[in-house]
Amino acid sequence: MWDAFGVGFMNQGLTPSIVVMTSLGVGVYTGGNMIVAVLLSVLLAGVGFPLVWGILGGSMPRSGGEYIYNSRIINPVIGIAESFGNAFVWIMWIYVLAPWVADPGLAMLAQFTGWDSLASFTTQTWGVFAVATIANIVAFLFVVFGIKIFARVQKIVMVVGIGGCIVICIVLSMYSKQDFINSWNTMAAEAGSLPYNEFLIAVEEVAGESMPSTWNWFDSLGVMVAASWLFAYSYCITFIAGEVKRPDKTIMFSNLFAILVPGAFALWTAIALYNIADFNFLSAAFYADNLDNGAWDIPGYALDFSTNYVGLAHILNPNGFLGVIFALSYIAFGLWWVALSYLAFPRIIFAWGMDRMGPKWFTDINPRWASPVKNHFLCFVLGEAGIAMYVFWTNSPLQGLTVTGLEVVTVFGVTAISALLFPYVKRARGIWEASPYKNWKVLRIPVITIGAVFNIAYLVILFLFFFVMPDLRDFTTAGVIFYACIWALGFVWFYFWKWRNKKTSGIDTSMTYGELPPE
Amino acid sequence: MIKLFFVTDIHGSNVCYRKFLNALPIYGVDVAILLGDLTGKVLVPLVEKTSSSWECTLMGQHVDVETQEDLAAVKKTIENAGYYWVHQTRDEFEATRDDPAKIDALFKELVLARVQEWLDLADERLEGEPFQMFMAPGNDDWFVIDDMIDAAKLIKPCDLRNVDLDGHEMITCSYSNPTPWQTPRELPEDELTTKLDDLCQLVQKQETAIYNFHVPPYGYSLDLCPKLDENLVMAAEEKIHAGSLGAKQVIEKYQPLLGLHGHIHESRGAQKAGRTLLINPGSEYSEGILKGVIIMLDKKKVKDYVFTSG
Repeated sequence: MWDAFGVGFMNQGLTPSIVVMTSLGVGVYTGGNMIVAVLLSVLLAGVGFPLVWGILGGSMPRSGGEYIYNSRIINPVIGIAESFGNAFVWIMWIYVLAPWVADPGLAMLAQFTGWDSLASFTTQTWGVFAVATIANIVAFLFVVFGIKIFARVQKIVMVVGIGGCIVICIVLSMYSKQDFINSWNTMAAEAGSLPYNEFLIAVEEVAGESMPSTWNWFDSLGVMVAASWLFAYSYCITFIAGEVKRPDKTIMFSNLFAILVPGAFALWTAIALYNIADFNFLSAAFYADNLDNGAWDIPGYALDFSTNYVGLAHILNPNGFLGVIFALSYIAFGLWWVALSYLAFPRIIFAWGMDRMGPKWFTDINPRWASPVKNHFLCFVLGEAGIAMYVFWTNSPLQGLTVTGLEVVTVFGVTAISALLFPYVKRARGIWEASPYKNWKVLRIPVITIGAVFNIAYLVILFLFFFVMPDLRDFTTAGVIFYACIWALGFVWFYFWKWRNKKTSGIDTSMTYGELPPE
Repeated sequence: MIKLFFVTDIHGSNVCYRKFLNALPIYGVDVAILLGDLTGKVLVPLVEKTSSSWECTLMGQHVDVETQEDLAAVKKTIENAGYYWVHQTRDEFEATRDDPAKIDALFKELVLARVQEWLDLADERLEGEPFQMFMAPGNDDWFVIDDMIDAAKLIKPCDLRNVDLDGHEMITCSYSNPTPWQTPRELPEDELTTKLDDLCQLVQKQETAIYNFHVPPYGYSLDLCPKLDENLVMAAEEKIHAGSLGAKQVIEKYQPLLGLHGHIHESRGAQKAGRTLLINPGSEYSEGILKGVIIMLDKKKVKDYVFTSG
């Protein structure tokens, strides 16, 4: 249970995800209330995800993730197209998140400790590329030697990550609003930067509008898009569903805890933040941090670090040692996100290989390490190519939310529909009849159906607000084309391998999936 | 070229067995092999509450059965999962529960009845059909079922002998190395090695032979399973090799064309050992899913294979 919780929880990436919720969430939807967004997310995701993924994973406890559920419940073609999208998603996470280890991860560490040369290196293009490459190599090494070493390293990374996040929360909770204003003004005076009130005015001038002094529902729902990083990602427990004890309970409860724990931290952080600064100031700080060059795009801003929530904690207590702990928490979670891609991607393509939807070497397991080493190498090469593309070409932190958009449509959406259909479709009747959750009902409605409805409601909110998000408007149009291309590639991949198998060996790959008559 | 369909470890699942028989014409196979473990492991007493209602514990959950329709559905669920059911009054249930000898006798009676039912069904379905079907037990199966398979009308027994598959010699061994569950057909590694080696001596042409050993060879990817703790509970973080050193030794020594294995349900896969292609199709019998592998066999080589899930 502990290891399964660890896989799910670590994929929620506590500290960087709170940065995303604040800087990419409130930074865009400036009237968003973080407490409302967190509570609503915990309610919808906390009911939906554990029931959908827990019941599917517990009913089909095989490693490989949602490809198995969607192939069996909906259709193999949909399963491979969706899975193709998810394989892309995991590679995209490598190239979006490995650079975050450099900037803002290592950059924060350098800025908090006054290590100017490191700060300069980690914010330059080649520096980001070098650090991201090292992160990619380290993540590869954490996973390639098998699940035993992975689980051991995960425990250490968890301690560093959670410990740092707790320290950030404690620091944010220890001081009053007046303490924060005094600290900000003192630090600003020393650095020749804008004091508290003038910073707010300067941000409003750059934004061309006043920062809202209170919250509204529309923006609060919008913040849920960015806050989804804290709640929607524990599903990767199902990639090791075949390797957990008591999968019928473990997958569901570890999923639930992997949502409740980040929820508690996010709530603690939100309450503490509203306690140390005015609503409009927080909106301004996060808006500024979300600009292309961070808060330094605000004329007159001259502090060494940007105004994300970790930076605000550093203002309250600028102790260098604490700064290292803050930054290490961010780096640990960021690095582990990359490692989790190495857990997922090789297993996804392994599952394809077993169905002859790819070359035979996709199914090669190294007997010494009990892991698909060749698939890990492929993951590394694709991830590294992506890092180069991201760092030297696209380089926008908002790409992270684009990946979320693809995941909402492709992975979470299709799987929620699978869960909705599971008790009712003929194709999966045998699996449902053998499912330990077959008799779980409320008012005669299968519990998985209720979970799927909650899950879909949550995903609809994310998707709608993802599309109306002002900063993502261009990305979204391009994103839709991108999603369509990936799905089309998935279909092409399926039919190519079906044709190739038939041509080279006379084997009809549809036999791989066909439901046999049970009588 | 022959098309061979290989399935293993269905552990008493009625639905998997029926799917297996139905698969033969659908997949258009020439030869079907159903290797052990053939028998199930769980007995579910359906205890009478009244003359028309029952209760039982199924998959860890208490189930109340109030109608004949529900009763039929529960029985089918039990059978499809590879379990066995028995009607009992409360008194019978309590008397049996406290007497291990009675449980053993009752369980054995139900297991043998199902094996006979399967053999009869095969006679009915295979009559006049062009397929050859081979069957052998596995380490979980009692020895008494060997005689039943030997006496079958159309199913051909193959355990511990050399049979011909359209020019390919196939030897089969139902035994395994020791397991934590102390099953009926286990041998210490040295004895198993001797037994396997003696069996291999029966083969004239190793280069086209098929080794049909229930236990996979040690140290390849087909024998990886979660490590068990002292309570026989699976550990998530560590996988170990559970195959046989004897099987590894004879396969590496004689280098047959093909090795067909089972035993480790979660290690579905294929791997080369020198010139030998080793395959374990895995098993998901408890979910009613028939896992198998179709192999296209030329005179001297394995042309191709595809895993199936039906």
